[in-house]
Amino acid sequence: MISRTAFLVGGVVLALLIGTAAVFFASGDPDGLDSTALITQGLKELTQPAAPDAELDEASLPGSFEYEAPFPDYTVEGASDLTNVALIVGGILLALIVVGGLAYGIKRAGQPGTP
Amino acid sequence: MHIPDAFIPIGQAAVYWLIALVFIALALRWVRNEMDEEKLPLLAVLAAGVFALQAFNIPVTMGTSGHLVGGALVAIALGSPYAAIIVLTLVLIVQGVLFGDGGITTMGANIVNMGVIGGFVGYYAYQGLHGLTRNLYASAAGAAWLACLVPALVAAVELYVAGTFPLVPGIVSMGVYHALIGIIEGTITAVVLGLIAAARPDILDESVGIPSSGVPA
Repeated sequence: MISRTAFLVGGVVLALLIGTAAVFFASGDPDGLDSTALITQGLKELTQPAAPDAELDEASLPGSFEYEAPFPDYTVEGASDLTNVALIVGGILLALIVVGGLAYGIKRAGQPGTP
Repeated sequence: MHIPDAFIPIGQAAVYWLIALVFIALALRWVRNEMDEEKLPLLAVLAAGVFALQAFNIPVTMGTSGHLVGGALVAIALGSPYAAIIVLTLVLIVQGVLFGDGGITTMGANIVNMGVIGGFVGYYAYQGLHGLTRNLYASAAGAAWLACLVPALVAAVELYVAGTFPLVPGIVSMGVYHALIGIIEGTITAVVLGLIAAARPDILDESVGIPSSGVPA
């Protein structure tokens, strides 16, 4: 059995390797939800790929709220591979820190006076 | 199955946010009152892993790809659907705010689908399947497959109500694609649980059904 620290470090390293591999090897095909949306707009058949330039007609969709994320699709315009890896690494570490930090904070706050 | 802002009108999106907030409050209470502090590293590592794996889209034929969602994995490993709600909520916040993956107004619906429904389906399906088969891998794979498919079907209904998808074609298409994407979900969930069971069986929740000193059944 490995130590708790080794488990934590090993798990995070594995996550970072997977995230880095995703930058280079992840599929650019639409996901199940986007594929379904393309089908409902007549841009895709269920069993066939959509045309590479197929784009959803956003104007016909019911949601009016718009928000511009700083790094849409985990990248910035004209970014190098290194930048894209840095973005995904940043996202992974942020997920680790916010989840770990929140749970730790709740535990600390919930047990005043205990070490 | 991250729903973007454009897919649901704001009024309906607010309803899903309200439902999500109720479950987020319950999940925070679970962390405070019931989560063993020893499980904290596992919770945090799984959040990192889920974020990484959600970025890794794998082709599932028919011009479509999919990735792990992770609700079943987190719920099974930590022994509670509320663990999945905590992890998926925070992962979805990071994804939505920084990376435009899933909307802001629709984040509530995404939390309900992938965190709440994915977590509850994954946890209880695992308990049921493991009770029947006593096999970690088969039960985890089956539960995770369901925890991918059921939220996708719910999303199809939500998007029908929103006026974005027609009912039957939406359910058929979401169902077909996520039955395939669910194979990814099932495989990765079983593999990751097996890895954790090999490295630190004691760190998994007792409900997973692995003796803390022993080999996974």
